[in-house]
Amino acid sequence: MLGIDRRSIQNFDWTLLALVALLSAAGLVNLYSATWVPDGISDEMRRQLISFGIGAAVAVLCIAIDYRHFERFAAPAFAAVLVVIAITMVIAQNTRGSQSWLFGGRVQPSELAKVALVLALARYFQRYPPGQTTRLRDLARPGAIIALPVGLILGQHDMGVALLTLLIGGTYLFLVRIPWRAWFGVAVLGAASLVALWTFVLAPYQKERILTVVDPDRDPLASGFQSAQSRIAIGSGGLLGTGYREGTQTQLRFLPAQHTDFAFSVLAEEWGFVGSCAALSLYATMLIWGLVVARSSKDEFGALLAIGVVGSLFWPAVLNVAMVVGLAPVIGVPLPLFSYGGSALVVTFALLGLLMNVSMRRYVF
Amino acid sequence: MIALDQRVGGSSDTDIQQRVPWIAAFILAVFALFFGRLFQLQVIQTDDLRIRSLHNSVRTLRVEAPRGDIVDRDGRIIATTRPAFGVQLIPHDVRHPDVVIPALAQLIDRDPGELRAQIGTPRGRLRFQPIRLAGDLSDDQYAGVESHLFALPGIVSDKRPRRHYVGGDLAAHVLGYIGEIHGAQLESGAFADYQQGEVIGQAGIESVEQDALRGRAGGVNQIVDVAGRVVGDIDKIDPVPGGSVQLTIDLDLQRAAEGAFVPEDPAEHARVGAVVALDVHSGDVLAMVSKPSFDPNAFAGGIEAAYWRQLNTDKWKPIQNRAISGQYPPGSTYKAIVAAAGLEAGLIDPNRRVFCPGFFRLGNRTYKCWKHEGHGSVDLHRALVESCDVYFYTVGRDLGVDRLFEFANGFNLSRLTGITLPHEMTGLIPTSSWKEKRFKEPWMAGETISASIGQGFDLVTPLQLAVAYGAIANGGALVKPRLVLRVADEDGRLVDVPAPAAAGRVPVRRAYLDLVRSGLEGVVEEPHGTGARARVPGVRVAGKTGTAQVVGLKHTENVDDDNVAPELRDHAWFVGFAPAEAPEIVVAALVEHGGHGGSAAAPVVQKVLARYFEKRAVQDVPAQVAWVAGSGSGRAGD
Repeated sequence: MLGIDRRSIQNFDWTLLALVALLSAAGLVNLYSATWVPDGISDEMRRQLISFGIGAAVAVLCIAIDYRHFERFAAPAFAAVLVVIAITMVIAQNTRGSQSWLFGGRVQPSELAKVALVLALARYFQRYPPGQTTRLRDLARPGAIIALPVGLILGQHDMGVALLTLLIGGTYLFLVRIPWRAWFGVAVLGAASLVALWTFVLAPYQKERILTVVDPDRDPLASGFQSAQSRIAIGSGGLLGTGYREGTQTQLRFLPAQHTDFAFSVLAEEWGFVGSCAALSLYATMLIWGLVVARSSKDEFGALLAIGVVGSLFWPAVLNVAMVVGLAPVIGVPLPLFSYGGSALVVTFALLGLLMNVSMRRYVF
Repeated sequence: MIALDQRVGGSSDTDIQQRVPWIAAFILAVFALFFGRLFQLQVIQTDDLRIRSLHNSVRTLRVEAPRGDIVDRDGRIIATTRPAFGVQLIPHDVRHPDVVIPALAQLIDRDPGELRAQIGTPRGRLRFQPIRLAGDLSDDQYAGVESHLFALPGIVSDKRPRRHYVGGDLAAHVLGYIGEIHGAQLESGAFADYQQGEVIGQAGIESVEQDALRGRAGGVNQIVDVAGRVVGDIDKIDPVPGGSVQLTIDLDLQRAAEGAFVPEDPAEHARVGAVVALDVHSGDVLAMVSKPSFDPNAFAGGIEAAYWRQLNTDKWKPIQNRAISGQYPPGSTYKAIVAAAGLEAGLIDPNRRVFCPGFFRLGNRTYKCWKHEGHGSVDLHRALVESCDVYFYTVGRDLGVDRLFEFANGFNLSRLTGITLPHEMTGLIPTSSWKEKRFKEPWMAGETISASIGQGFDLVTPLQLAVAYGAIANGGALVKPRLVLRVADEDGRLVDVPAPAAAGRVPVRRAYLDLVRSGLEGVVEEPHGTGARARVPGVRVAGKTGTAQVVGLKHTENVDDDNVAPELRDHAWFVGFAPAEAPEIVVAALVEHGGHGGSAAAPVVQKVLARYFEKRAVQDVPAQVAWVAGSGSGRAGD
């Protein structure tokens, strides 16, 4: 079961590798500017490079094991991750307003939930094909699978990751055959729960962030500050950008969290409309390529896995870019391959490894 | 293997795979939305957002121009601008406050707790903003801080221009002081090109010559980061320093005059009063003193509230310039004016004698002479020399209050002298109509008797009296006191040289003025003269003593001065000029509650005159003579 046979190597997906390599390089080049220090390289840059190494190793591991074996591990892995998150909640120190960091703030277990959730849902839908999921009540079990990690992460007050996990799980809704009438019911339910969320769950500062999207100049110094500075950075980039390492918003640190959540603003300021569109196009191409892999997969589990990977790369990008360009509230969701952050990077590489795994083995059978 | 059993065969798409294009379409739609948004921000709104980016990072700072110097007539600096060294602390950069703050406190001689209170606990971006802990370190303190900066991360030293008055309170009332522009001043329109927070002259010459001293502020466009830290300069316009103002004041005379107010016995209360010394021809103010005084340096870095309150609540009003706005009864110094008036009016025959029995009767009232045993038979000369009240009672009675006013007005005593200092006051010379208007009562004949020896309603300022005596000294020309000799721009080019200005002539013939002058000379130089203590060796001095009664004590009451509480004692006057035969300088001195003019005020004038002639003896050509000759304008009205 271990090892890569000859046909798999022959079918190695060079396109995917090239896309990932290009995006990773762009991300690192951008991060170098965002964390620039006068002499040598910044701590953040150094750590990110180390994470790249770890991520690459994890990816190789994810590629080496035939993805079909993952199905067996899906359920126990899912359970294990849930336990880890729950433990984190209890013991981890309270950092950054949420209790989701382990080992002195170096590892974020809730990131692992993405992989575990994708595996668990792929396994579920492989057993209960989504084409046969025609009634809302058929969604109860997959809904529960999604709700478990989301609930735990919400318990850690990490709104961004909770929402993200919810959306990644929701990717599979594209596949089910539930009539539009039923969706209307879901929409009503969703709206009701949103109202409940607004009224009972959200803290005032979180509401403020959401209102800021509706009216960006509402409070330009507090919650609107980050959003406004990001839009200023992106806009001042213009068509061709201010030039690498020449963005005043970036280099003078007017951009908040510029190496993490707002890394894309740095790119947009320094490379302009052309650069930001190129980067997004590359990213979209990678996602579409992931769908191509899903479509060419020889089994349903592979296809479900690939779709799950696409979803778990697509939704953080959507939330992040929408936040950065001022279309969504400021929630701390990093942009995969661009934002600084070790756990997220390693998990992203694990997911991309799974995608490569599926892609390489499409002709195995 | 399980997975193999469940594989879906064939190339036909599964149910799941048929849905994939939908997902792709959704993804592409979302990215298309992002492209649209990026186009909006980066192409359509880019100009607007780029300007906002510049506003973020470019800060324009005003660089104040160093204020120009004020120098005395010999070019000696009185007020200048010097660098003041301060210390700032950037909270964010102080890693070990428990070490740094006590160390700094020791270096700048402050209490650590006090420093901590000043720093407080700034949060957020405020942590990057420097806090100025000290604004004007001594050289030792500054050297200590500088040499330990490497060990004090988060501490920075800075240098700012600061106004410095070299002599402390020397000539404080002439110089005035500086202070932040008031809201009312900004609104007045007179300060159209000024900004809030700008420091301007608020009194004295600092205020009068504000335009000349100000200079032109420069500016610098700085790049700042989000914390407000300066990253670099984009461009810079250097400030143009202010021009210099040369005063007519002679620091030597000023010091002599101020020194005369320091009591010889340190236990004695510091004397209160004023001195004005004028060049009798040009009107140059050679010295101007008002005591008590204040230290304008205290205003230079923004005045402390406690000191300001103290200055304003002090019962001796140290801010007031008594030389130009202190109103005092002229007392016997007025007799010179009455004598000139009597002569011109033809009421005095200089040779005719009047008998002084020690009192004077008018109707059923008796007016005493200060010398109760009487002066006996006195002519004009002796009446002036011995300051006989009875003689001048008769002149006043014959002249009447309104004609007396005509002459006093002729000596400019009812008008401002026109000195270019703010808050000059005129005294008060009464007329019968003034009294009727003011009190709705007719003028009483007895009041004329008081007025003829400078008592009653009469009030003059020391400066007015100096100008009036200057006219007696110079042959009848009334000078307009001049305080500014010349104004130069920052490169030393003269931009303003005010010419000596005449304010007309007194309505008294020169021969009569000479008679008065001769009497005044006798006051100092002759036996029995009341002003003997104004004598200066080698020079003949003329002058007149005066004792101005303080409200509450009748002049005619016979009270021994030594038994009267100091604040109830009479004000002491002396106005003198010299050399008597060809006067150059006139000095008026008033010592509040000093008692007799001859004993309290004459020595003050004596000290100024002595310094003047001592200095003139050393210099071949006195500075002011050289300048007057150079300017092409000679003696005013002579």
